[in-house]
Amino acid sequence: MSMLVLLLLPLIAAFIAPLLKPKAATYLSSITFLLPFFAIIGCMFYGCPAKIHLMTFSAPIGEFYLQLDMISHAFGLTICIVSAMIALYALPYMTHRFEEMELNVEREFRKYIFIFDLYAASMLWLVYSGNLVLLYVFLELMLITAFLLIYTYGYGNRKWVGLLYLLWCAVAGVLTLGGIVILAFDNSSLAFDVLMASGTVSMIAWAFIFFGMIIELPVLGPHIWLPWAHAEAPTPVSALLSPLTVGLAGYVLLRVALIDYSFIEEYRIPILIYAIISSIYGGFSVFKQTDFKRLLAYSTMSQMGYMLVALCLGPFGLIGLVIQYMSHAFGKSILFSSAGGVIVTHHGLRDITKMGGLHDSIPQISNAAVLGFLNLGGMLTIGMLGEFFILRGVVETFGISMASLPILLAVIFMFILSVWYGFYTIKKVFYGKPKDTKRLEISSYLYLPLYIIGIISVLLLFPPLSTALIDGLNAISGLGLGGVMP
Amino acid sequence: MTADLTMIMVALVVLTLSAVFSFKFRALGLIGAIIALLIGLTTCPFHFGIFIFVIAVINLLSLCALDGGIKGVDYGLVGLMGLATMYIFTTNDFAMVLAALVLVSVPTYILVMLRDGRANVEVGVKYITFMVLATVLFLVGAIILVYTANVFNEYLYVLGYVMLVLGLCLEIGVAPFHEWVPDVFASADPIPISIIASLAKIVPFVAALWILVATANDMTASLSLFTAVLAAISMFVGNIGALTSKEHARVLGYSTVANMGYLLTCLVVVANPEYLYLALTGGLLLLFSNAAGKIGFFNAIKEKGAYSLLMFILAFSFIGIPPLMGFWGKLFILLSLAEMEYFWLVGIVVINSAISIPYYIRLANELGVSWELNLTNIICVAAVILIMVTVLFVPVEWFSTHMAAMAHTVGIAL
Repeated sequence: MSMLVLLLLPLIAAFIAPLLKPKAATYLSSITFLLPFFAIIGCMFYGCPAKIHLMTFSAPIGEFYLQLDMISHAFGLTICIVSAMIALYALPYMTHRFEEMELNVEREFRKYIFIFDLYAASMLWLVYSGNLVLLYVFLELMLITAFLLIYTYGYGNRKWVGLLYLLWCAVAGVLTLGGIVILAFDNSSLAFDVLMASGTVSMIAWAFIFFGMIIELPVLGPHIWLPWAHAEAPTPVSALLSPLTVGLAGYVLLRVALIDYSFIEEYRIPILIYAIISSIYGGFSVFKQTDFKRLLAYSTMSQMGYMLVALCLGPFGLIGLVIQYMSHAFGKSILFSSAGGVIVTHHGLRDITKMGGLHDSIPQISNAAVLGFLNLGGMLTIGMLGEFFILRGVVETFGISMASLPILLAVIFMFILSVWYGFYTIKKVFYGKPKDTKRLEISSYLYLPLYIIGIISVLLLFPPLSTALIDGLNAISGLGLGGVMP
Repeated sequence: MTADLTMIMVALVVLTLSAVFSFKFRALGLIGAIIALLIGLTTCPFHFGIFIFVIAVINLLSLCALDGGIKGVDYGLVGLMGLATMYIFTTNDFAMVLAALVLVSVPTYILVMLRDGRANVEVGVKYITFMVLATVLFLVGAIILVYTANVFNEYLYVLGYVMLVLGLCLEIGVAPFHEWVPDVFASADPIPISIIASLAKIVPFVAALWILVATANDMTASLSLFTAVLAAISMFVGNIGALTSKEHARVLGYSTVANMGYLLTCLVVVANPEYLYLALTGGLLLLFSNAAGKIGFFNAIKEKGAYSLLMFILAFSFIGIPPLMGFWGKLFILLSLAEMEYFWLVGIVVINSAISIPYYIRLANELGVSWELNLTNIICVAAVILIMVTVLFVPVEWFSTHMAAMAHTVGIAL
């Protein structure tokens, strides 16, 4: 029961924080996300009840409950720590943004913190939802709060960008809803435990959910909204949107795949090829960008390709998906925040061609960005585990033979591409010939939270955290060692 | 049953007296109408009676913003519509169902002509022409259907079904019989239109459902396709019309066409009473959320804007963002369609709720202004509270369980 209270805290904070002054509101929001974070870590080591009943709906909706398994914990702890840190980071950033927009800082902060808290809390609740309708409710709440943040505080043509984002994600959402409704018809309940027991998702329901979620993910094709939304959102929102929100589409796919894997088995090769092409396209697009935030957005597309690849790779791939989400979330939240740091310290600078040598003026942010790219590249952070599981998935699924070699090589190339564009970006933005060597004064809110995320991402690579995580994931049937080899 | 009828009679007397004396004291009309509605509420099951009561009272309050020629009596007319709407849920007498339909329809003939100053006769003529045709089609269709239930004749059944559905389509504005909707909505005063778009939509739908359920037979399943196609056309015509219109009232007119399309899909369920409760829950929740949304938006048009947060919440409810009421309406409708295996219609509803997004957001954006305390904002707050009761989830379950119980007793005595 205590877990329920802890998960309710961020939701309650959303309603209390607007009553406080900006600084107090920020700390309140941050603490209400840190408390469940520590509780989740506790759950990972000492266990906690697997299910908390909320209420029962009549058929075909079924029971609403909170599902507390290791998958939810893995996503939950990522969401908690990133949201807590970005809440702190946002204090100087949004103050700067409101001043820039010539708004009353204190009054706007009240509005902003309410939507922001609701946004982050809805993501947390999404991953603990034990019923597809409850999950959908939070999916849409997350979409609408993010839309409002972009619409009111974004850059550039923010209203148009907000609408573009809303439209694409709403299409994704309603397609998923269509799938959920058909699932309800087949199983006369939408609670996960009933669905797991029945173990069938009809092809048509799978198709609805799959196409809905790859728009949200997004892959090549429906990715049009992504660079706009990520680039024009206020940076703290980008730092949740890209790391946390889009990847949750992967979470939904994972949950459905755990109920019934047949759709993926049926179409494994086309999906895999599409995902690899999408990821490599995203990776190469990075090199063409001149806007720092757009560049990071394309990198998100490339990383989301990893998740879709992982989805196709059987039980080990599915573990890879979970860990890939975590490592991407840590890495990308750091990177978007460092892009925001450059914007604040260099008066709205986003053009890469005008950057170079920024390490000399803002070393704190430059070093954080290196940590971020280490996560994306899968070096010395939890990202390494993610890549390991994805590769093991390739081997377990396709075996080692000449026939499987092209897929193995393509996946490895995909990984290398991330490291490649990572170093390219670091060199282009923070190193090279400095334009100004003067050290700038910078608020510690703008970099300390980033290091905390970085430290967590490194700690998660090592025992006891990594062993608890992997053992917990292996224990779930359908994942890793708990899965049946395809 | 007789006790209910007595209470309705008492309510009618209160209503008539207050309307008569309102020529002397205008406030009396409003007070009398609210008292009559409270009396009516005691006859109606509370769990949806309260929604109708709230919608009717908001409608009454919004009339305060209008200074028409029959100030005072207009409250009585809205009160009468509210009473008829409540009564249709308690009666299963065929004559009473038809009487309720007429009682809801006729007051709107007068209301539509109201505006500040002189009556708007031009709009009135246009509206009344369509409405009379609709009501006649509906009544004749209903009578033929009831006749075929006793003496079965398949040609007559098809004729009756088609006439009733066409009458319903004209009455509530389903494409391709929607011509009057955008024109009347755009040229009449927003306040009476807010009543026509909200309170007046409930009874025709419920009456049609009652009659169709009671007279359903083996042919109904195949005839449902006719309704489903009309519904699909209506959704597309409404949403595309709204997307391409500029004038706010016209956008809302097309939005009504689209919403009535969603609603019409509920009628495919009459072939299988087992899933009726899903369609009933969905249909009523959609009607209530549509009513609240239309009242809010039309009042905002009248006063050149309302508080932007309220406008956005109303827009999100129309789009179907959970956990607002509009979402639950659509969800239950989709569930009933899936149970009836109308998967293509599920797809069309889903696509349409997505393409409706831009114009609702545009509407909210253009009508939204900063906060000030006035009647419009109070009405909008009330409408927003109405569509937000579902945020707690519990009212939805409460509603659907009551509907499940009710679905066994609906229909009319033949």
